[in-house]
Amino acid sequence: MKVKVIAPAFCSFKHIDENGYMILPEGATLNDVYKKLRVPLLFRKILFSSVNYERVKLRTKLKDGDVVSFLSVITGG
Amino acid sequence: MKGYMGKVLTIDLTTGTIADESIPDSVYENVLSGMGLGAYYLYKHIPEEADPLGPDNILGLMSGLLTDSGSLMTGRWMAVCKSPITGGWGDANCGGTFAPAIKRCGYDAIFFKGISEKPVYLYVDDEGAELKDASHVWGKDTVEAEEILQEECKKKKKPKVAVIGQGGENLSLIAGISNDGGRMAARSGVGAVMGSKRLKAVVLGGAKKIEIQDPDGMKAYSKEFADKVKNAGFPKFFKGFLLPFIGMLMPMAKKGAPVDGMMAVSMNKTYGTVVNNTIGLPNGDSPVKNWGGSVADFRMKQYKKLNPDYILARETKKYHCYSCVIGCGGICDISNVRDGRYKHTHKPEYESVCSFGPLLLINDLDAIFYITEMMNRAGMDTIAAGSAAAFAIECFENGIITEEDTGGIKLKWGDAEAVIELLNKMVNREGIGDILADGIKVASEKIGKNSEQYAVHAGGQAPGMHDPKMDPLLGIHFSADPAPGKHTIGSGMYYNMMYLWDEVSWAPVITKYPKTEEHIPSDNEALKSVALAAYKMLTDGAGGCFFAEIAGLPHWNLFTMLNFATGWGLSGDEYMEIGKRIQTIRQMFNVKHGIKPKDCIMGARVTGNPPLGAGNLKGITLPIEEMVKFHWKNFGWNEETGFPEDKVTGELKLNELLS
Repeated sequence: MKVKVIAPAFCSFKHIDENGYMILPEGATLNDVYKKLRVPLLFRKILFSSVNYERVKLRTKLKDGDVVSFLSVITGG
Repeated sequence: MKGYMGKVLTIDLTTGTIADESIPDSVYENVLSGMGLGAYYLYKHIPEEADPLGPDNILGLMSGLLTDSGSLMTGRWMAVCKSPITGGWGDANCGGTFAPAIKRCGYDAIFFKGISEKPVYLYVDDEGAELKDASHVWGKDTVEAEEILQEECKKKKKPKVAVIGQGGENLSLIAGISNDGGRMAARSGVGAVMGSKRLKAVVLGGAKKIEIQDPDGMKAYSKEFADKVKNAGFPKFFKGFLLPFIGMLMPMAKKGAPVDGMMAVSMNKTYGTVVNNTIGLPNGDSPVKNWGGSVADFRMKQYKKLNPDYILARETKKYHCYSCVIGCGGICDISNVRDGRYKHTHKPEYESVCSFGPLLLINDLDAIFYITEMMNRAGMDTIAAGSAAAFAIECFENGIITEEDTGGIKLKWGDAEAVIELLNKMVNREGIGDILADGIKVASEKIGKNSEQYAVHAGGQAPGMHDPKMDPLLGIHFSADPAPGKHTIGSGMYYNMMYLWDEVSWAPVITKYPKTEEHIPSDNEALKSVALAAYKMLTDGAGGCFFAEIAGLPHWNLFTMLNFATGWGLSGDEYMEIGKRIQTIRQMFNVKHGIKPKDCIMGARVTGNPPLGAGNLKGITLPIEEMVKFHWKNFGWNEETGFPEDKVTGELKLNELLS
């Protein structure tokens, strides 16, 4: 299945294609996305992410077309 | 039924003549409403020799095409004029509740020319428009005058009011226009233009409906956006004292990448713009000590006192502008601050906190609350006022001005009492305040003695409180926007959030890239800055909010919403041509009025010449002139002069439109 992943720049983008999609096996979870992004274990529980703009648990199963995004800090005002 | 009203109200204050003027559909199809309609109208009607404070200047109060259309985040209004501070195009953008009030009176805009003999205000409702005597509110501050006029003109509901304070009345060139108890259209000296016309206020009490082509489509789209914003919560474990650490981590990211703007919305929803108070010091975004210092001059033990949690602690209720579901604003209780003169205030914006905080090395948050309310009531631009104070302190420190000049005030960095005294003099135009009330460029010209080295401005306007050495695209817009110095046009970070490449064929696609690329002048970077400027013109033509814009096309898509409203069915590329057209008219306005765009390129200190000696931006110098050249070239403007070329004015069909 294809999941859109909008990840922070410090992550590994190796498994994200040029359109921002990651291919995952059926039944993959948010934690699997974290693994492919090489997010260090220590950060996995505190890195704020959402699936389809809702906060979910790391063990949540993903489905085709989901959007996984991460909290980003902006400057401005 | 395309979202716009198809007419404007014109008032000649010299003769007292009030008239409706129809605007052809073709104008809206070419430039939308709001900023675009304002640029079109002012370019055509203000003669090139017009004195910005004279009768020939026109002040326009503009709504947006999408305002009150059932769309969300489209309640911004704009004031446009020939700017007395730059001598060229002037505009200021504001939230609050005034934008829909213009349309509910049946107009897309209200244009004033001439000068009234005595102070007046304009009252408009469904039955017509009338100029009324304003002598009883002349001299009142913005909040007092608004309350009096609301009571005086109240019928079924309280009317909406745009009003100037003492700043505008005294023709301070850094004066703005207020609505909703102190929300300011602050920039470009628009309040001075209103004051020069002896127009104290505009009071609107109409109740007309706005119709669009596809209300069901708009409603469904708005619900989708609102649902996403509802879910966009900031993590509860997060506290403000952690923000500096984020600021410290940010520079470690050597790569840029696309960002989901909806996830950034949560920060604005929770904190508002003050979230940047303590992020901006360690990462270098916030200017320190009149742009000459760094976090080494204003360390964590000082800036931690600006922790936005301390601001939220005073917030008694959230504040939303019209049609806003984010709610970055708030009302704060300041009844126990200093002399207790002010009971409450709008939550200060980051720009105000930085202008009266790090820029002056002040860490007294109560003083900053007090000063921002004082300036809101006087109706003066906090960015420009803080910048003028910083300029004065540096002049004093270097012996260019003395206690004799300041009327006995010993100006020094970090002294909030001295700054309050100085600002009071600016509001009342007393002594040194009379000079500083016209902004730093005019002040440095009057003071002389090589003081211009401390006058940080772009074409006369003090820049927003963001250092372009951290985000170079910001510097391009500071320098190249026809209203220079504005921080709300675009930046590299914003580009990465907006996903313009999804629907604009020529907007560069972003994947992961080295951030060093942003510091090298190139066509690719220039195309980003052109795309940002063109899209911002659409936002301002629609009455859109910048914080919705940067949520990005996947969430808040102007092309989609404009098509729901108008039924035009245009593509992203076609709309961006409209955005380019608006921006080019603004630039043509400057050329017509004798502005040399090269003179608006930011001063040496801001671009790192000499470079900062400490902080995250240590040693960086921006090749700003080269960057601006690439920007102009990619707009189809002459890369040496910044003048729009015949080729682009022909392609944009501007000769026919403006004839």
